Amino acid sequence: MTVEDITLADLVGALAAATGDDSLLSAGIGITTTLEGDLCFDSLDLAALGAVLRDRYGTTLDLVGYVAGLDIDEIIGLTVGDVAHYVIRCLMPSLRPETEQTQ
Amino acid sequence: MSRFLIVTLPLTGHAYRALAVADELSARGHEVAWCGSKAYFGPLLGPDATLFPAGTRTLRDQAGHGIAALKSLWEQYVIPMARFTLPAVNRAAGEYQPDMLVVDQHALAGALAAHRHGLPWATLVTEAMELTHPLAALPQVDAWVRSQIAALCQEVRLTDADFDPLFSPYLVIAFTTSALTGEQPFPGHFILVGPAMLERPRAFEWDLLDPARRKVLITVGTLATGLAGDFYQRAAAAVAPLRATVQAIIVGPPDLLPDAPGNVLVVPSVPMLALLPRLDAVISHGGMNTVSEALAHGVPLVLAPIRHDQPVVASQVVRAGAGIRVPFYRVRPSQLREAVVSILNDPSYRRAAKRIGESFAAAGGAPAAAARLERAVQAARLAIRGCPTPRVRGTRTMKPPFVPEMKISGRTDGGFSPQERHWWRPLLDH
Repeated sequence: MTVEDITLADLVGALAAATGDDSLLSAGIGITTTLEGDLCFDSLDLAALGAVLRDRYGTTLDLVGYVAGLDIDEIIGLTVGDVAHYVIRCLMPSLRPETEQTQ
Repeated sequence: MSRFLIVTLPLTGHAYRALAVADELSARGHEVAWCGSKAYFGPLLGPDATLFPAGTRTLRDQAGHGIAALKSLWEQYVIPMARFTLPAVNRAAGEYQPDMLVVDQHALAGALAAHRHGLPWATLVTEAMELTHPLAALPQVDAWVRSQIAALCQEVRLTDADFDPLFSPYLVIAFTTSALTGEQPFPGHFILVGPAMLERPRAFEWDLLDPARRKVLITVGTLATGLAGDFYQRAAAAVAPLRATVQAIIVGPPDLLPDAPGNVLVVPSVPMLALLPRLDAVISHGGMNTVSEALAHGVPLVLAPIRHDQPVVASQVVRAGAGIRVPFYRVRPSQLREAVVSILNDPSYRRAAKRIGESFAAAGGAPAAAARLERAVQAARLAIRGCPTPRVRGTRTMKPPFVPEMKISGRTDGGFSPQERHWWRPLLDH
């Protein structure tokens, strides 16, 4: 799996798998869709999404840990695009922030 | 006989806990006064109560969910409420000269006024948002909440670094038990007394209950009525196919569900404590009041938390084995039905709920809270007389009681304000 292979559809698929809600597949989710506001995600949904992404893209991925480092407005405004960026950063070591490389 | 000044929020889950404790204090011969919105507390307390009115302010409805709701809770309710009520609470503390203030954890004005007047105060923990520090999982959100509180303290010029308005250094009374919080240790001045319950008298047509069917109460509490309609539709659809064995009682305006299925009663309110012994399960948003009342009666729950401390309560109940959590906005009728059927058919949920209920009964409730308040007043009197105060060891908030030693030096009796004179009276008399 390379970065180029990850599409919005892949992420929407992960969201649907995490929530068990297939209606998300046709809900018009885009990169600006917010997890908390638009998709009503709570901490359990986030943990489930983190587990799905880890299964699919590897163990360096720690979505819950990533979100725990965000400030209050970043968490409220967290979008599908932000999650995509995070996944891509984890898959491309050269893009990975220092803190994640040392983990 | 001691005098207690109660400062709480005009919200059911907060006010009724304080009222249960206040009734117990009165029964033990103490004097109790209140400070809060007259429009809310006047009718609640009745004409004979001593109430220092704090005025009434319409604060925006707490809409939303998740971290956004937490942010608006602090920015649009807790902090403005503290700011708005503080002058009245300060006046009440000065005029009434209580031996102790009894302060809801989120009624910050009570803690601020107590600290300002050098009066001992106790915290009533009526929610699950602070006690086990669940926000530790989101350190920056936690820091933001602390910064809101610090800014308020700064604004009213109470900048003592040891002062935390969320946790009294004298006494912290939490209406839960370790059956829910887990075995995490708390400092010695924390006491977990279980729920302090008071019946809210409500009319109810008992004849409508069918003794042959199992009964499920469905309620999302008093604050979430705007969100209730859609959830109640799904809940009604969930229980409709169970009509042969299950009767459901939905608490809400009947016009929310004009076409309710035959096995679903929709009533505007219920006498909760009288009804609970007849219930087999409760579907709820996870408000502390509803959940602890259900568990006190050994009734297991399906919890669909919306915001604030509700996800924390839900995870505590799930961990204790007394319930199942479902997503409030997303749960489908089939999924909700599956959860209800599990709760009704698997006796382990009811056993776990009973275990928690027994821990509640053993914890002592309002009488235990009142007894500890009496002892805290005694301890504070001893502290004034110069006895060493035990240093409290613990986490972020645990500080030794605030004893304003500084105020003695260089001041004579004539230099004391009336409040300080009261505070120091035992010392001056000797």
